[in-house]
Amino acid sequence: MTTSTPQSEHQRRVRRTPLAARGEPMVWLTGACLCVCLLMIAGLLTAVVVQGAATFWQPRIHRFTLADGATTMGVPVREEPYTAIGQELADIEQMIARDTMPQGALDDEGRPMRRLYRVGNREAYGDPFRWVSLYNIQRLEKPAHATLLERREWGVWIGMPEAIVLQDALPAPAEGEAFEEAGTATVNGAPVRVTREIAPTDDGPVLRERKYIAEGPEAVLAVLDEYLDAADERWSRLYHLNEVVIGDINHDIEKERLRHREMELRHAEGRATDEALARSLERRDERVAELNREYAKVRAEAAEIDAEDARWRLVITEPEQGRFAPIRQTEPDEFMRLSQVVRAVPANDLDFAGRLGVYFSRWGEFVGGQPREANAAGGVFPVIFCTVLLTVLLSIFVVPLGVIAALYLREYAKQGVVVSAVRIAVNNLAGVPSIVYGVFGLGFFCYTLGRYIDGGPSVAWSNGVWFMGMFGLLGLTVLAVIAGYVARPVPGQPPSRRMKAIAWAGGLMWIGAAGLLIALLARSPFFHGFNRASLPSPTFGTKGLLWASLTLALLTLPVVIVATEEAISAVPRSLREGSYGCGASKWQTIQRIVLPRAAPGIMTGMILAMARGAGEVAPLMLVGAVKLAPDLPFSGRFPFIHLEKSFMHLGFHIYDVGFQSPDSEASRPLAWTTTLLLIVIIAVLNLTAISLRARLRRRFVTGAF
Amino acid sequence: MKPMTTPPATPTHGPGPRPAETGLESLAATGVQFTVIDAIRNNQPFTPAVHETILEQDPIVEVKDFSLYYGPSKALHNISMPIPRGKVTSLIGPSGCGKSTLLRSVNRLNDLIDNVRVTGEILLEKSPVYAPNVDVIELRKHTGMVFQKSNPFPMSIFENVVYPLRIDGEKRKSVLKDACERALRGAAIWDEVKDRLHQSGLSLSGGQQQRLCIARAIAAEPEVLLMDEPCSALDPIATLRIEELINEISQRFTVLIVTHNMQQAARVSDYTAFMYLGRLVEYGPTADIFQNPRLPETEQYVTGRFG
Repeated sequence: MTTSTPQSEHQRRVRRTPLAARGEPMVWLTGACLCVCLLMIAGLLTAVVVQGAATFWQPRIHRFTLADGATTMGVPVREEPYTAIGQELADIEQMIARDTMPQGALDDEGRPMRRLYRVGNREAYGDPFRWVSLYNIQRLEKPAHATLLERREWGVWIGMPEAIVLQDALPAPAEGEAFEEAGTATVNGAPVRVTREIAPTDDGPVLRERKYIAEGPEAVLAVLDEYLDAADERWSRLYHLNEVVIGDINHDIEKERLRHREMELRHAEGRATDEALARSLERRDERVAELNREYAKVRAEAAEIDAEDARWRLVITEPEQGRFAPIRQTEPDEFMRLSQVVRAVPANDLDFAGRLGVYFSRWGEFVGGQPREANAAGGVFPVIFCTVLLTVLLSIFVVPLGVIAALYLREYAKQGVVVSAVRIAVNNLAGVPSIVYGVFGLGFFCYTLGRYIDGGPSVAWSNGVWFMGMFGLLGLTVLAVIAGYVARPVPGQPPSRRMKAIAWAGGLMWIGAAGLLIALLARSPFFHGFNRASLPSPTFGTKGLLWASLTLALLTLPVVIVATEEAISAVPRSLREGSYGCGASKWQTIQRIVLPRAAPGIMTGMILAMARGAGEVAPLMLVGAVKLAPDLPFSGRFPFIHLEKSFMHLGFHIYDVGFQSPDSEASRPLAWTTTLLLIVIIAVLNLTAISLRARLRRRFVTGAF
Repeated sequence: MKPMTTPPATPTHGPGPRPAETGLESLAATGVQFTVIDAIRNNQPFTPAVHETILEQDPIVEVKDFSLYYGPSKALHNISMPIPRGKVTSLIGPSGCGKSTLLRSVNRLNDLIDNVRVTGEILLEKSPVYAPNVDVIELRKHTGMVFQKSNPFPMSIFENVVYPLRIDGEKRKSVLKDACERALRGAAIWDEVKDRLHQSGLSLSGGQQQRLCIARAIAAEPEVLLMDEPCSALDPIATLRIEELINEISQRFTVLIVTHNMQQAARVSDYTAFMYLGRLVEYGPTADIFQNPRLPETEQYVTGRFG
């Protein structure tokens, strides 16, 4: 024993703390987990940013000639290897044997590569995208002046611009009378070629005269922008007349009709006299006639602009079949109008700055414009606007509600079993699947509350029963007030059992009174709804912005309540006591000390609620979001803001563009771009809220003004 | 059968009675007979030694046979003591003896705690504090309070000081300004903050914050100023300033101060009450309590032999 002592002491000195005890592996493990999380987030963001930002970049236009001699123009989209079989495989093997296989037509494993081209020209080709095997391409060039047209309808057209034509329909000459088939004329001081021909129309034959203002790709591209600007102006004017002005007139006619219908309903109920009905009818007819006159005037103006617009044509030819872009699919031999062009991109003529210009011009249209082509092109401005509006509305609804509820729970309610149960229930609400809220919103807000607002109660009590209920409500309220007064707490003395019982009874009476009040409203024989004249088509009784924001408010309520409760309970007791010590009442303390101090925490709740609400899609599909609603929920007409309208939402838009689009190849890049936009918008909303919170925190918590 | 003495309960929150520190074991060694403390420990009745000179003073607050319960446990036991007008009265005693509870009973700050029950009465200017028809808010406006830890509100220095007036509904700028300056001068902090009245009250140092709180407490010209260990979180120099301030203030206000620091009680107060386990033990002029106490327990305590 004595000999072993120095040995064991020696052992103790050299013994190192084991790795596991020092916890070094845990550092690696936790660090590695964090790295995995960061990598995933960074990967997601990179994917979205790269894909989303690349959408609007214009690649060069290729003109390729295949082995069978067909020549086509297209924009390359992507390449991939594929597995060749049958005849194709034999061809490839033959080409390899003859050593005629072009460079890069096969991948490293010897599989043939194919390239997806966006060839557009849907009227001519049917499918606007085409796979082309690289070995099959005999000739590939990037011809100058090749132009990609973004059109208002029917997707892009890729071809060579041939001419800008000013086309007039002159009265047809008499049968057998001769006319010059070709000649020259002077336009803007320059001589231009003119052709004339007899063309049949619905109203008989006309003499169609075409003045070739610019001919040849170079000449056309030189002046195209100028003519496109003028065409755009005409188009905007027509759009304004057809959509806005005529829309307003129709709206006014409808309003007049509804007003008279309401009068008829009242008359049927005996609440309006015969004279009033007759006066109303007279007024309606007068007003509708006036509006119809106005309508005819607007239509005439529109027709005039349309006729002028129809004169200006663009000839752009694709190389495969030599066809030009038609005015519409059913009239393949009419040149397209200039005003059908949204943007003409001579992709191969553009230098880097020019391509950058196209890029930003497309971004501008995307962020600020209306959707076109079933959302597969154009902009998302209404979508952005409504998404932000929805988020703001939901915050306006949820924050006061959540804060007030949390204030009661934390400040006024007696902490006990009931409050704990309520708190647990609220926390659990945060975990309810969002679609459940959608179902609730549709069932309660749209179909119950909305229908009530539209048409009044479906079942009403008789007047006698209703008034009895009214007196019952009054009585209950008075009794409840008395009970509350009798059972008011005496300072310094715990309440007796009797007082407790009275207080409970008072509480129950308040609940009963609230229930009775709801029943009285829901069964009122005096309320007939605000929009019953337009029934059965619903106004509030269907999907809409108001119901969507209320549903989302409900969905995010637990977040706000929990955050507010935490913030309130984090207010130091010493501050409250200081306030009470100064003679402040409970409400004054809450208002002046607790709420300002808790404001940053409440803001945190709001930020979380906004982030959750803005990204939510499932409930919106039930209570408000639709594929296409390009009008903003504002108008120049009372009540200016139309919260009953359905709307577009970015989250739903991504789903729609990405998965519901008829042309998935064309819209897929847009899905990425829309995702990028949604991320940016939510980030901007959150950053705004976070900076606001930082200011509040500086002001009320850390104390540096 | 040994009678069970109920240990003082520790409430989960609030200034309830803290468990008494037992320094008494060491007392047995001194061989002196401690009748009063024995009586308290055995829960037997005893008569506190209240010096007659106090009874001759004009009281502003009168505590009469006052007891307070936190739920089932009794925190204050039948305390009777007058607080003389215009003087500084300090409450001393070991931790958990009920000094703070007594102080907070005067402005009914204990109401904020659930399950508090009181018997007996406290009179402020002859009117009962615990009568059912008393407006607590009005009462608290007549009693300024300064807390152990300085608690400036998260607002500007100006707003901090005029807070009692603001909640009273005072909106006239001139009145508020005058009150603010008067209170800040009264709290001897005017010169330090007069140029930054609109900075946050939280930007001040600890001692300044406490003086700001005193300014706030005297802004509404209260009748009594209650101070709950106002210096316990401050360094010695800040403590000294506050003590000087208390001396100044005492010329205008009646001050009731709880302190742990017996030297402080000796320095600032005119009268001192020694409390133990929720009972008043001895109460008299500060000089007598510290130099010539009637009870040996008091002497042992003020000389630092227990507690």
